[in-house]
Amino acid sequence: MARKILIIDDEEDIREVAALSLETVAGWDVLVAGSGAAGIAKARENRPDAILLDVMMPGMDGPTTFRELRAIPETSGIPVILLTAKVQAADQKRFSDLGVASVMFKPFDPLILAREIAQVLGWQEA
Amino acid sequence: MSGTAAEKIASRLAELWQTSRPTILERMLALHTAEEALAANPLDQEARDRGREAAHKLSGVLGIFGLPQGSELASALEETLKSPEPLLPSDLATLKTRIAELDAVIAAKSPQ
Repeated sequence: MARKILIIDDEEDIREVAALSLETVAGWDVLVAGSGAAGIAKARENRPDAILLDVMMPGMDGPTTFRELRAIPETSGIPVILLTAKVQAADQKRFSDLGVASVMFKPFDPLILAREIAQVLGWQEA
Repeated sequence: MSGTAAEKIASRLAELWQTSRPTILERMLALHTAEEALAANPLDQEARDRGREAAHKLSGVLGIFGLPQGSELASALEETLKSPEPLLPSDLATLKTRIAELDAVIAAKSPQ
């Protein structure tokens, strides 16, 4: 069965390119959400195998969304990868300290995004 | 990976570049507006925040469309605007130069 990935990002371009990449290159099923609140709802309903979560979003930002996901029993075990534009080392440490599976950076290469996700999550495919 | 997957992604990216250009140009306008406001008042924190947000968004997206230099320039702008230090005249001059360079990078790709 194909992996199911949820992308939470307020930027439509990023959602679309990431979804295109993961569907086309890896054959994964992709769900998208444009806000932290919508993402939490989709995660509860669909139980994806992993979540790609933007850091800087209006309203509920990525770290807040992550903490909410961890507090919900149905979503607490889903690995979350934070996706952010290039940041300073201090920010990267702050994000890593949250307990996310990994921190990945924009801009990403659409041709290798799936491979990078699979690698950090220890998945064999892609 | 098959050539077909790479071609499909490249083709869709070219389409997306066209639909994304207005948003990218809006962000450039936000950067210009912030730079002008900061030139008038280097302590204008609201202008600084608006400029930083626009730079952050540009840095995340331009490289995806094959403009890594654009992402680097936007990232450098974001760092300058994010710094807690007051902006010096030399910082303002650098901002202006980098924004102009970013304009040129985007213009060189548009329209595709």
